[in-house]
Amino acid sequence: MATQESRDAGRNLEGDVPDFEPTVETAEATYTDDAELERTLGLAGGLAIGVGTMIGAGIFVFPGLAAGRAGPAAAGSFALGGLVALLVALPTSELATAMPKSGGGYYFISRGLGTLAGTVVGLSLSIGLVFATAFYLVGFGFYAIDTLAELGVSLGDGLVIPIALLFGAGFTLLNLTGTENAAKLQNGVVALLLSILATVLLWGSLDAVGLVGQPSAPERFAPFGPLPIVTTAALVFTSYLGFAQIATVAGEMKRPGRNLPLAMVGSVLIVGTLYVVTIFVATSAFGSERLSTLGETAMVDVGRHYLGSAGALAIVVSGLLATMSSANASILSTSRAIYAVSKDALLPRWASRINLTYGTPHVALGMAGGPVLVLVATGRVELLAEVASFLHLVLYGLICVALLLLRRDDPEWYDPDFRTPGYPIVPALGALASFALIGFMQPASQVIGLAIMLATAGWYLYFARDVRLKGVL
Amino acid sequence: MSRVLLPVAVLENEGVPLGLVHLLGTVDVTVLGYYELPEQTPPDQARLQYEERANAALADIVEEFRDAGGDADQRLVFTADRQKTVDRVAEETDARAYALSGVTGPVDRLLVALSGDVEVDEILDFVIELVGDREIAVTLLRAGVSEGATSAEAAAGELEDAGIGVTAKTAESATPLHALVGELPTHDVVVMGERAPSLQSFLFGEVSERVAAESVGPVLVVRRRRSKRA
Repeated sequence: MATQESRDAGRNLEGDVPDFEPTVETAEATYTDDAELERTLGLAGGLAIGVGTMIGAGIFVFPGLAAGRAGPAAAGSFALGGLVALLVALPTSELATAMPKSGGGYYFISRGLGTLAGTVVGLSLSIGLVFATAFYLVGFGFYAIDTLAELGVSLGDGLVIPIALLFGAGFTLLNLTGTENAAKLQNGVVALLLSILATVLLWGSLDAVGLVGQPSAPERFAPFGPLPIVTTAALVFTSYLGFAQIATVAGEMKRPGRNLPLAMVGSVLIVGTLYVVTIFVATSAFGSERLSTLGETAMVDVGRHYLGSAGALAIVVSGLLATMSSANASILSTSRAIYAVSKDALLPRWASRINLTYGTPHVALGMAGGPVLVLVATGRVELLAEVASFLHLVLYGLICVALLLLRRDDPEWYDPDFRTPGYPIVPALGALASFALIGFMQPASQVIGLAIMLATAGWYLYFARDVRLKGVL
Repeated sequence: MSRVLLPVAVLENEGVPLGLVHLLGTVDVTVLGYYELPEQTPPDQARLQYEERANAALADIVEEFRDAGGDADQRLVFTADRQKTVDRVAEETDARAYALSGVTGPVDRLLVALSGDVEVDEILDFVIELVGDREIAVTLLRAGVSEGATSAEAAAGELEDAGIGVTAKTAESATPLHALVGELPTHDVVVMGERAPSLQSFLFGEVSERVAAESVGPVLVVRRRRSKRA
């Protein structure tokens, strides 16, 4: 893939220009003028990033909360969320194969829609990831307490936040000092998780449809009517924030034209199916009313209901692994998001510095880790989740818009390996659905989300008004 | 002329010992500067910050090779997987062998290992070209006996015909790795063959990596001939 010479792209407040390198991409490496960047991630690695980022929330934090809001129809909320994710994953795949660079969604939007949209999305995404990380960490805290309780050490919910804080600081430090073989570990964790879940869910499904165990009385599918299905979908959409993270490692993926679409669409389908089955099994076990009183770790009681204390232990252990892997993946994505905007001179260059000792981006990790701890300390699970979703949904909607515009203008450099099926209906629906979900959130989340976006727009005016990124590869 | 790929962790202050520079004077050299990153760092982020510094250091190393009379060029790769990078660049440059780093003074004794499932003819051809008409002694080592393999004596004959001073050794009792490690102290540089991928190498790592871990001096690994690709 050839790219044009960089043109005058303007300077930011500190006089830095965006770093453009003409590159040649092959299936195995990226060649710049004076260096090469190895592609080392395979399809399994990509799927592990997608599934590993998403799975923490959907199964292990939301079932109780969602069932309380929508009844058994919460399964429909998850399905709806999955459908929206799929509508966005397809356009994201197309853009990622056209621009297989680190930076992901931010990169597409800054090149397709220009610097203002790019700055708002790039910075909002970094902040959204900070919210998501905090959300996963609080979930992790709940599971840590429950794990200890299963082992006979009862500490009570008062220690959830301190534990979450402790591990949040721990993950940040771990990432600062470089985690050898972390990718392999993540693959193993995800594989282990999927097999535990599949076992518990298969047994639960057999039980729920009455093939084994005691028959249970069915309750009304949507006791609160159709609207809560949609508002709950807006809440649980946090469980699908992750497929676009695969695009942030597009520059490191082998055979990007094939692996990127497979990993993105595949991970949405895998987790979507798991979520819907989980909710079905969970609401069949207890009925939604009781489920909602069990709170964040309702799935532990579901596991106990079907498989006794072994089931409960299996679920707490998976819950620990899943929330941990989601939190860790999100911290890493945050530092990548910060790097992407800093490279384009939308943030000071020092924000993306790495140190030679560990090869890790210490500044960006610090900028992510500090605020995460502050947000964890608030302990507001639903608010954290919704603000994270809000900021991601803006990104997703704009990705679809960028696709529509790029297809219409059809610039010379635009040559994706993967083309979205059902164009233009799929991206148009993806954009509409993303923006519509925002409308169904709690007012507090909407206000915070909007405030963050306005602040990033203000930063653009102050710092990077003269930087031009549209169409510059 | 054959090409040898010389990976150097250039940003971690790794240099190339002068003895190796002179030894490789008879072949073309590609100095492969690499920086191995943990997965949380995008390679491009490291490039942005360190490309210039790394390329300057590489240029110095290339200069050393040219001063020593050899021909050399340089590549710089930011990677999360060193072995994959070495394999890819070796393939692209059609390198006959690649080096694993180590320290050595002037080289006057080579240890050439022929044990196991390696392409003996490739290794001997490479050694003949590498040594050339210089006063470098060669010890040929084969451990274990396998059917139909070239014996150490027959291989020694081939090197002698090329005018190289050879000692042939066969260690029938010891395992190939132990036999090789036992000979290390009396030799400066090891030449060995790349093995076919096997379950053993998957579980324990490449034999050459294990030798390099035991050896103070550099190890040259002669690559297997790749079947011609379409």
